[in-house]
Amino acid sequence: MAEATNQNPQGAIESTVVDWSSDQTVFKGVPWGKAMMWIFLLSDTFIFTCFLVSYMTIRMTTGAPWPEPSLVFGLTVFGMNVPLLLIAIMTFILITSSGTMALAVNMGYRGNKNGVFWLMLATALLGLSFVGMQAFEWSKLISEGIYAWENQMEAAPQFGSIFFMVTGFHGLHVSAGVAYLAIIAFRVRMGKYDKKGYDIVEITGLYWHFVDLVWVFIFAFFYLW
Amino acid sequence: MAVALVILLVVIGSVIFHYLNPWAFLPIASQWQFIDVTVYITFWICGVAFVILGAFMAWAINKYKYREGRFSRYEPENAPLEKWLTGITTIGVVVMLAPGLIVWDDYINVPADAMEVEVQGEQWTWKFRLPGEDGIFGTVSTENIDSLNPFGINEGDPHGEDDILITTNTLHLPVDRNVKMLLRSKDVLHDFWVPRIRAKMDMVPGMVTYFWFRPTEVGELDILCAELCGKSHFNMRGTLYLDTEEDYRNWLSNQVTYAEMKAGRKPEEPIVAEGRMVADKNGCFACHSLDGSATVGPTWLDMWGRSVEMTDGTQVVIDEQYVRESIVDPTAKIVAGFAPTMIPYELSEEDLHALMQFLQAQTSVEEATEAL
Amino acid sequence: MAQAEIPYQESMELSHPHSWWTKYWFSQDHKVIAVQYGITAIAVGLVALVLSDLMRIQIAFPEWEIMSPDFYYQAITMHGMIMVIYLLTAFLLGAFGNFCIPLMCGARDMAFPFVNMLSYHVYLLSVLILLVGYFVPGGPTGAGWTLYPPQTITAGTPGNEWGITTMLASLAVFIVAFTMGGLNYITTVLQARTRGMTLMRMPLTVWGIFMATFLGLLAFPALFVSAIMMLLDKWIGTSFFMPAIVSLGEHLEYSGGQPLLFQHLFWFFGHPEVYIVALPAFGVVSDIISVNARKNIFGYRLMVWALVAIGILSFIVWAHHMFVAGMHPFFGFFFATTTLIIAVPTAIKVYNWILTLWRANVRLTVPMLYALSFVLTFILGGITGLFLGNVIIDVPLSDTYFVVAHFHMVMGVAPILVIFGGIYHWYPKITGRMLNDRIGRVHFWITFLGTYIIYFPMHYLGFIGTPRRYFDNLGVSDFYPMSAHYLNDVITIVALVVGASQLLYIYNLVYSYFRGEKASPNPWGAASLEWCTPQTPPEHGNWGDTLPTVHRWAYDYSVPGHDKDFIAQNEPQRSPA
Repeated sequence: MAEATNQNPQGAIESTVVDWSSDQTVFKGVPWGKAMMWIFLLSDTFIFTCFLVSYMTIRMTTGAPWPEPSLVFGLTVFGMNVPLLLIAIMTFILITSSGTMALAVNMGYRGNKNGVFWLMLATALLGLSFVGMQAFEWSKLISEGIYAWENQMEAAPQFGSIFFMVTGFHGLHVSAGVAYLAIIAFRVRMGKYDKKGYDIVEITGLYWHFVDLVWVFIFAFFYLW
Repeated sequence: MAVALVILLVVIGSVIFHYLNPWAFLPIASQWQFIDVTVYITFWICGVAFVILGAFMAWAINKYKYREGRFSRYEPENAPLEKWLTGITTIGVVVMLAPGLIVWDDYINVPADAMEVEVQGEQWTWKFRLPGEDGIFGTVSTENIDSLNPFGINEGDPHGEDDILITTNTLHLPVDRNVKMLLRSKDVLHDFWVPRIRAKMDMVPGMVTYFWFRPTEVGELDILCAELCGKSHFNMRGTLYLDTEEDYRNWLSNQVTYAEMKAGRKPEEPIVAEGRMVADKNGCFACHSLDGSATVGPTWLDMWGRSVEMTDGTQVVIDEQYVRESIVDPTAKIVAGFAPTMIPYELSEEDLHALMQFLQAQTSVEEATEAL
Repeated sequence: MAQAEIPYQESMELSHPHSWWTKYWFSQDHKVIAVQYGITAIAVGLVALVLSDLMRIQIAFPEWEIMSPDFYYQAITMHGMIMVIYLLTAFLLGAFGNFCIPLMCGARDMAFPFVNMLSYHVYLLSVLILLVGYFVPGGPTGAGWTLYPPQTITAGTPGNEWGITTMLASLAVFIVAFTMGGLNYITTVLQARTRGMTLMRMPLTVWGIFMATFLGLLAFPALFVSAIMMLLDKWIGTSFFMPAIVSLGEHLEYSGGQPLLFQHLFWFFGHPEVYIVALPAFGVVSDIISVNARKNIFGYRLMVWALVAIGILSFIVWAHHMFVAGMHPFFGFFFATTTLIIAVPTAIKVYNWILTLWRANVRLTVPMLYALSFVLTFILGGITGLFLGNVIIDVPLSDTYFVVAHFHMVMGVAPILVIFGGIYHWYPKITGRMLNDRIGRVHFWITFLGTYIIYFPMHYLGFIGTPRRYFDNLGVSDFYPMSAHYLNDVITIVALVVGASQLLYIYNLVYSYFRGEKASPNPWGAASLEWCTPQTPPEHGNWGDTLPTVHRWAYDYSVPGHDKDFIAQNEPQRSPA
């Protein structure tokens, strides 16, 4: 899209029209894989939207009280209860991983194979640590008596249900992303993309940034509301 | 030619069928005749469109049938014609929609003077509740529901004591009075529908839905369930009697309130009470009544010791052996007039014994001696 | 625009088959995958057809006692779900989509042949999981194809344990299959067209499939999410859709859930689903009518924009399925209005099909007969939709046989007629042989007139109030008079004849494959690109050494001053000099 805008200085709307009415490809210079990933992410957006809208509906219609997030998601450090500490760290890690991913894509453009490999590996490791912390968070909640079907806080049982379901679904996305990153990273190192180019790194990056973005919404709706 | 003719015949045939067939809306028994009017408006607009389009198609097929070497008229677009057609369609849509929305507005806004009747749907029968003398319904909660408190009225709520409870699948209403039906369900989705009233609305567990109407004619109307609610959905019927004010008063005076229902209950022996709990827990009362009304299954009132005709024509005496078989293998012998919808139950020997005692207790001594 | 370069399309790497398995079973050729999709969909559709005939016998002759209520409710559920998802969606997108998109866009194959192959096999898996429902304890679910909770998972419904689980699992797997296929279709249409093939030169078939795929990718997520939530409700005891209830006397552990939330999610998927089926049918019909009328489709640009408009609008009309479901009554105003607005672009499409016949040269081939009968059926199904979409009229008519007649006309018979017509139209390109004309005509007349006799009078049962989904109407009553008994007898007999006559079509498919008349490369004289392949049937890779170049739209029929009455899309424009 960026290139097209450069070719057609008339403006965004006109260049869009030109793109869509041209033959062969709508998105100029965009490899098939990247177009597919965009469309997949659009579809995936609808999945998460449905989850979040269901969550809002349930939360607003349930008769039972909803627990205070800053109390539920607290962490006791040195005898002090710090609300949302763990989540803040998790969010920080995930956003950092997006940064390393962006650097990896940049290295890909420059053809720096080693840079791509190590940065993607770093991204995967950050993702893995996120999943690990999520597992810790879950087991902590479960040990405090919050289950998917009920809880011992006299709060709506849907609190646990929707929390475990949505964060679990996001966690699956992160886990899949970690595997995806690792596979691509090692394939890069093996030189599978030397001839084809490093488009695949950018495609992987798209997915990873999406997962990160979804987390921002989950964070806002579950922990700050 | 032949194809065009058949298409034309299909169109003409449809119109003829419309005028000759015996099926139309049932005679309306409420003030909702505007619903019917809206249907007729839509019907006419759509009917005319159908005939014109179908006839044009037949005509065009015949008129422009294939001839080798002939060229069609090359005309990629005809903007004025398309604009006209779009405009006409839009007008037609507005003419259909506007009255519909006006009547809908009427449908959802209940007049202030409407009397309230609560309907509770459950698999697969209807129960009704009137607010009683104080005009206020007692509050309810689902946890309280059992065979002794079918609506789950909260104990200690004074408004609940005088509520009139009707568990016989029939409801009487006076004509010419606005009625607001409050719809509840204790288990799954149902839909309270009286075809001759026109109105219907789903009943959703955990919610109270509503509609209103004003009966205009005296009569006996079918109540149907219009939302698939399980295997006996088709059997979930009731009767609505539209009475004159006087008949209605008469009927009303014979109904029992919740307080009377509690007071009139004879104390039960412990084993009988235990049997009632077994029946409650296993949901027997969903299909078997204790008041003589036949719902999905036969009533348990005065059943014990009787000789009853089965679907295959044989006579069977209702005794412990028959009942035990019917619990384990319900479709083996079906009482004539009922559908084989019951599922098999596995009960412990203790529970079965208590249940037998409870069932026997539902047959009064006089009945039992008479049957013998 | 700097063009003429085709970096991917021209030199696309194709995985050529090495053995029988990779040629016919794990093939990555879009044409083979299309046939696989088609055969599987027809096979599972036959199951649904048999179920429907059994149900018809029960409705007309309950005294024969051929089935239990459990079986009946399981049959309505399986019939509905199979027809909507596993036959119509799979056939129109999986079979027609796979076959038409690359050929009509001038691509060598789908953008991702391997994912495409996977898509079919995941679809096959979903079909198998669905059918497993008949072998698990309790049988398949009998909750109706809408699967409304709470009844789906409470004891009064057949198959409330394992049947509903296999059903939801199968749907989730189907959605995965659909997503894999759908990403292919969209990417191919957007990024893999040949030289000169602009979007506004694409045949309407491709446009319809393209829009429908978009709808599917955005609508199926809602079904996916609701399937997950219902499975959790069933198996780990969450209460998403389950309020506190007393099921058959037993107090269940649920509390505080929202049955209506499921309905909103379901119909957010379910309404676009109607158009997922309808839009490809619209496209195919447009092409068949245009080819056989020897005339360009009337108002092509408007047809495209109508498809796009219908697609977008279909996302904001879903709650017209819920007018009497107990949602907030003010929604009624909004959704009735949007629903009737969608009638305008739909009506435009109907006008344009009919106006294509006007001053044309109409050739009544068998595909054309199917297409014309589609138009008539669709008009009837469309205008009855105007009844049900108008909120107050929906009140007396919803959940009656009027609804059954309406959706069978518009979403059952109409797209099925298109499928018959479409197969007939492309069969020569798929196999290199023509289908038998005589059998085709016999099958057409039985099917068209038969279904009309079945469904047209059924609307009137809805007026007297005969409710749908009744296992047995239990004798004569106000809403089910003796005349309705007779009508149902007639309908059942006709339905059995129509059901049996479908074997004719299948016989025709098999017979013609071996014995059919050899087809020329372009037997219908069609202008669109799929008829210009160097071989018939096209080999793997479709276009030989070089991709075709497109010079015109797909509808150059009867162009004045030309010697033939059609000009193929790849024929160059006459130079002005």
